[in-house]
Amino acid sequence: MQPTSSMNKEFLKKWQMGLQIFRPSIDNTSVSERKRAIKLSADVAMASLRKGTTCWSRALIQKTASEDNFLVRQMLSGIKEETLINKKLPKVMCHRKIVRRSKKILMRRKSRSAMEEVAAKAKKLVKRKTQGLRNAVPGGEFMSNNVLLIQETLDYIVSLQTQVNVMRSIVDAAAAGIER
Amino acid sequence: MMMMNGEATEAELFLNCADMSVLERQRAHLNHHHYPGFFSNSSTINGGDIDGFLASAGLDLPAVYGYTTVHGDARISVTPGNITTESGNFKKRKFGCVETETKVCNEKKKMMMMMMNREAAVEEEEEEEKSKVTEQSNKSIMMMKMKNKAKKEQNSCSNDSSKVTKDSQRTDYIHVRARRGQATDSHSIAERARREKISERMKFLQDLVPGCDKITGKAGMLDEIINYVQSLQRQVEFLSMKLATVSPRLDFNIDDIFAKEVVSAPMTNLPNTVMPPHMMVNSGYPHEMVDSGYVHFNPMQQVVASSDPLSCFNNGQSATNVWDSDVQNLYSSLGV
Repeated sequence: MQPTSSMNKEFLKKWQMGLQIFRPSIDNTSVSERKRAIKLSADVAMASLRKGTTCWSRALIQKTASEDNFLVRQMLSGIKEETLINKKLPKVMCHRKIVRRSKKILMRRKSRSAMEEVAAKAKKLVKRKTQGLRNAVPGGEFMSNNVLLIQETLDYIVSLQTQVNVMRSIVDAAAAGIER
Repeated sequence: MMMMNGEATEAELFLNCADMSVLERQRAHLNHHHYPGFFSNSSTINGGDIDGFLASAGLDLPAVYGYTTVHGDARISVTPGNITTESGNFKKRKFGCVETETKVCNEKKKMMMMMMNREAAVEEEEEEEKSKVTEQSNKSIMMMKMKNKAKKEQNSCSNDSSKVTKDSQRTDYIHVRARRGQATDSHSIAERARREKISERMKFLQDLVPGCDKITGKAGMLDEIINYVQSLQRQVEFLSMKLATVSPRLDFNIDDIFAKEVVSAPMTNLPNTVMPPHMMVNSGYPHEMVDSGYVHFNPMQQVVASSDPLSCFNNGQSATNVWDSDVQNLYSSLGV
């Protein structure tokens, strides 16, 4: 799973579309405003490549839409809106009996050997890191299990690499233009 | 599969028999006793014979497997005795086949014992049935249920046999075999399958994330992945910032490029696909080629136009080396 040239092309096309939407307003604004516009359009372009099939792309679009609804609407005119909504996970109901039983088990666990202690520590560490990954990937809180999380992370990384590649090449082109 | 269907229709036939006269039903039973196959044996089996029989019947178990269950189901529809318990047994047997062979053997033995019991029950039943006509309707409903179950069983069986060629068409069955000394209850098997899936995905991630292949341990790998994702995100931030600082001119340039690129797409795209990027950069080829396409532009736009398709449509790494060294330094200071 490496970013392919066709993906780059597609992304470039979408991003171009987004920038064109911004073009009328982009001339007389500050640098930070312009930067925001570029970033948003690049994000939406990256997310729209997946056409709402992945969790992270939907979450990213939702996040961008909360900042700039007009842009998102313009850029995603081809994609159905229902596909872009993340469904909230059902809240886990805890039965009182089960909770009590698990507490009992936890109490029992306090007396365990050193080996078990180390294993439990490692497990805890992995759990914390997984939570960190959940926070780093957009929409991570919607991913129900770890398998899905890692799969989405794979996809997200590939997309990010595409984005970075294209943006870098354009920046390079611009820098070369300035040097001339 | 065709054979199984045949069996199922036979079961249906027997089902219809249940609604017919007692005499015909008895004839059906008789037929059944003379049914070719191991069921006729089972009526004469004593304890010593079972093992030998099992050896003969259980040798090529996965292949014959679907066959045997459907036989059993056909039987079920005939004998309305202890239907419910039998069905449970079949379900269990199916599980056993997926899990371990030893378990299968045990289950098989158990089933044989049940079968023998049922043989005895059949004879009792035949006398009882004459009096109980009203109960038949209830039982026929049960049989309908059984038939549904049998169909389900057929599905799973066909799945099992096709497992060898196509690994898994349906995902709700877990095709995992327990190795020696591993737990065989369904929970541990599911957990193991999940863990294997995760580790497989992690391997992909390891390939994708640079510098992750040296790290062992899940926590370290996750750490590296998080760092990489964050660095990529920061890079995007930085790049968009950089783009914004040069943008008033650049935005127009991009627009121009793309307006022209769409028009002259066949011209620019064809050589790109044929030639590797470094070749094109080193030789003066793209400039000449682009010149022909963009004659009416000023030189600054030309450079951008010529560099852009190159670096965007290929990996971009080779082009950066040629174009700008201090931007490269900036990236390396970012950590990638």
